[in-house]
Amino acid sequence: MSATRELIARLREQLGESAPLSPAGPALPLTPPPRRVFPSPRTRSSLQGQAAAHTTALVGIGRVGTRYATDVVLQFQAELAVAHHAVASLLPEEWIEQNGLLNLQTRVSDHQEFLLRPDLGRRLSDASRQALQTRARKDIDIQPILADGLSAEACIGSGMEVLGALIGECESRGWTVGTPMCARFGRVWLQDEIGELLGAKVCIIILGERPGLGTGDGLSAYVVHNPAIGKTDSDRNMISNIHARGTSPNSAASRLADLAGAMLEQGTSGVGLDLSRVAPGNTATELRAPQVRESLVEVGR
Amino acid sequence: MTLGAGLQGPVQSKLRTSLSRTLESDTPREHTPLSVPTLAPEPFLNLLATIRGIGYRFDSPKEVLAKANPLKSGDVLAGIAAGSPVERVAARAVLANLTLCELREAPVVPYDEDELTRLVEDSLDQAAFLCVGHLTVGEFREWLLEDATTGDMIRSVSPGLTPEMVAAVCKLMSNLDLMVVGAKCKVVVRANNTLGLPGTFSSRLQPNHPKDDLEGILLSTREGLAYGCGDAVIGVNPATDSAESTAHILRALDGLMKRNGIPTQHCVLSHVTVQMQALELDCPMDLMFQSLSGTEQGNQAFGVSIGLLDEAHALMGERRSSRGPNYMYFETGQGSALSSEAHHGADQVTLEARCYGFARRYSPFLVNSVVGFIGPEYLADGRQITRAGLEDHFMGKLMGLPMGCDACFTYHADMGQDELENLKVLLGAAGCTYLMSMPVGDDIMLNYQSTSYHDIPSVRKLLGKRPTPEFDAWLNKMGIMQGDAPGENFGKAEMIR
Amino acid sequence: MILEPIRPRILSVQRIPDAHPALLRSYGADPERHQSLGLITCDQDDSTFVALDEATKHAPVDVVYARSFYAGAAHASGPLSGEVLGVLAAAGPEEIDEGLRAAVACLEHDACFYTADAQGETAVFPHVVTSLGHYLSKEAGLEVGDAMAYLVAPPMEATIAFDRALKEANVRAVKIFGPPTETNFAAAWLTGELAECEAAAAAFARAVVEVARSPLYR
Repeated sequence: MSATRELIARLREQLGESAPLSPAGPALPLTPPPRRVFPSPRTRSSLQGQAAAHTTALVGIGRVGTRYATDVVLQFQAELAVAHHAVASLLPEEWIEQNGLLNLQTRVSDHQEFLLRPDLGRRLSDASRQALQTRARKDIDIQPILADGLSAEACIGSGMEVLGALIGECESRGWTVGTPMCARFGRVWLQDEIGELLGAKVCIIILGERPGLGTGDGLSAYVVHNPAIGKTDSDRNMISNIHARGTSPNSAASRLADLAGAMLEQGTSGVGLDLSRVAPGNTATELRAPQVRESLVEVGR
Repeated sequence: MTLGAGLQGPVQSKLRTSLSRTLESDTPREHTPLSVPTLAPEPFLNLLATIRGIGYRFDSPKEVLAKANPLKSGDVLAGIAAGSPVERVAARAVLANLTLCELREAPVVPYDEDELTRLVEDSLDQAAFLCVGHLTVGEFREWLLEDATTGDMIRSVSPGLTPEMVAAVCKLMSNLDLMVVGAKCKVVVRANNTLGLPGTFSSRLQPNHPKDDLEGILLSTREGLAYGCGDAVIGVNPATDSAESTAHILRALDGLMKRNGIPTQHCVLSHVTVQMQALELDCPMDLMFQSLSGTEQGNQAFGVSIGLLDEAHALMGERRSSRGPNYMYFETGQGSALSSEAHHGADQVTLEARCYGFARRYSPFLVNSVVGFIGPEYLADGRQITRAGLEDHFMGKLMGLPMGCDACFTYHADMGQDELENLKVLLGAAGCTYLMSMPVGDDIMLNYQSTSYHDIPSVRKLLGKRPTPEFDAWLNKMGIMQGDAPGENFGKAEMIR
Repeated sequence: MILEPIRPRILSVQRIPDAHPALLRSYGADPERHQSLGLITCDQDDSTFVALDEATKHAPVDVVYARSFYAGAAHASGPLSGEVLGVLAAAGPEEIDEGLRAAVACLEHDACFYTADAQGETAVFPHVVTSLGHYLSKEAGLEVGDAMAYLVAPPMEATIAFDRALKEANVRAVKIFGPPTETNFAAAWLTGELAECEAAAAAFARAVVEVARSPLYR
């Protein structure tokens, strides 16, 4: 309130005017002239720095009204796009052949069907069953399989490196290893049919994991003893987060070989496997570390 | 009341006999089952409809229920979806002419084979059922939509509805129908807060951390509180499903709530048996959580049964740290039974309703479906996820539950941010009790996309809604809110110790 | 109802982003420093002078012109004339916008005449400028930041009330504009401590009200 209005209000009271001073307000028959808009200083919580040490959750990102600042929107959209792009990526057949892998198809015919029909992605096409019978080595200790899973991008990115390292690990431990192979539109349980057909003692499938926000390059690997159709998730052990910022291909390979070794020794897998007897640090229940959040968007130089 | 008014035919006569038997007894809630339902089609049920000269005949109410469902990838995966859009409408026409009574006679999983079917049938409120049992599903839909039908009237018949009836009417409703009726239903529950009052819209704060890092969890919690989130519950999905870890997180949350005098509830969403062990460690626990499925077999896959939940509920009755009288928290989601091959050939909407038939036994404080979490093989895209979110909210409310929703998608489903934001507003307008909230909607542990800390105040502002009154008062005291507008400390997590 | 605000009506607000040098010079602006003009007309001259001064506190603008029209708003030359034209000059249009905005806000919320009788026929302007800007300080020969009582009323009421204000408060008369001004009022600028300026304005207003109530010598 202005000084003048205050003194007038007091004076009115003294002069016996009981009603309060009528409020100030627009006296304008005109709209005021447009006002040049200046960007307001960004308010970020002081928690942001503190948070980075403890969590990758986007806390302390500030706000505009009740919504996000533009750079937050762009970072978020980039992270979402990276994830969606990874899911939509397809594994070319040429890639499988160029890498000298036995080319397998599941019963899935296209990508949409792959997403909607997990049952079809768990089974081989008739032609691939045939190819497996005639071209793959049988009665082996370990059968490794590569597959696209939910990110062909991840499979192409580091699939060969993980597969190569795993085969090396297994051979160095004196196990017989099956023909390297790769399946398109493959799901985890595909390892049951393949392993059963080939009479493998342990079957390991390495495939693209479901992308998270900003990450589409992660692989997971599942290991099952005595593979056969009808095995469930509780019969399997797995490690996830195999990518540049998580578990490296070499350490993934050695941990998978440790798991396979324990299975060969104990004759079981999944919930029945005694993980305390696996080399320390190799427990499948180990928590996934938070992934470092990378700034994805940079404009100009 | 005139028994069986307007009823005709053998089904009705059979019902009349059994109803009179029931009414003669002193304790109507413990009546004997009306009949032993069988999978075989009732020969006298009219399960035929003709559209443009083509007849569509169905073998059982279960098949009718399945085929009447809007297209869901999960029903296709189960091989039970309608073969064409026309067949779908034919199934709806048949369904519209079945009576609620006939649906009661035909649960999708037989009485003898499933404890949930038995629970629903044996505990059905007979008086409430008699008020609406004679209506066809089509008539029931119209009654729900009538202006004269109030939320209180709907609430009064809720205990007489079986999940099959609720799922059936859901299938005759458009999305806006579901919202209109959903918004009528008021379900008010109380633990430390009073949830579900008219004009309120609440949120679960979900500060998950992939390593259960307490500091990380608390930082995220403080940020969410500063945005006015967390009045339904501060609920953490633990990375480690152990009693120690559960107790550890609960103590940390309890400390935060006590330091700041926050009127809300805490919960750690480990398995119910783990939470029971945690209670033995003498930790505070405001709410007890469990995921539910729609069949006995599905619940076995979750490691729960009616007996186990009865035990957990009784234990919480003695040991909980909240005031009550409501203190259970359940999550559900279409497709969960199919994913464990426990669906008995029934569709996922009906099975979802059966989860609510289970949940209502415990007068829970919170129930929400995690609608898009299960993946595209069950709900393929934004359209199906949106539809399912509205269906689940409607069905839960119709069955008298304080229904919330985790509006979400996984990154391999065909849904984007804009569509998810649409769903949040639709749910808010439909009177959904609460949504989730986390930084940017990104769950860094479960790797999916849900509601953000920023979304909750945005939806509230848009729809003129407020948090629970207790929490609202706290937010105003803290300067986080000033009335219904953001206050000077809005978004300032450093205000919270 | 007495001492009821008589809200100023702003009649037109205009700006010339790139004014002709001849026009700039004719209104007292300096084409070397000033490129843009902002113009405002209003039906209360003294309120507008205060508002223009306020503008100089919020933006780098100069008040180059501010004149009342003869016989006041009741005898205006056109619907947009009112009784005063104020002209701001500045280096660019953004500064002008900011200055005009401050002037408008002052007219909306602070500076205005008040009624001094129940019929609303007598108007009084008992305004306290808590802190002078460049414009009025220069006009009054005071320092920027000084407090000043800006007092206006019709000739008879004003004369009695000036005397009362000067006697009842510890203030110094800076200027007394005897009647008739262009609008046929009388005005005075008094300065001193802020509280004294307020006391002077209050005494002035009270005296005007009293004279309006009892116009005849007793």
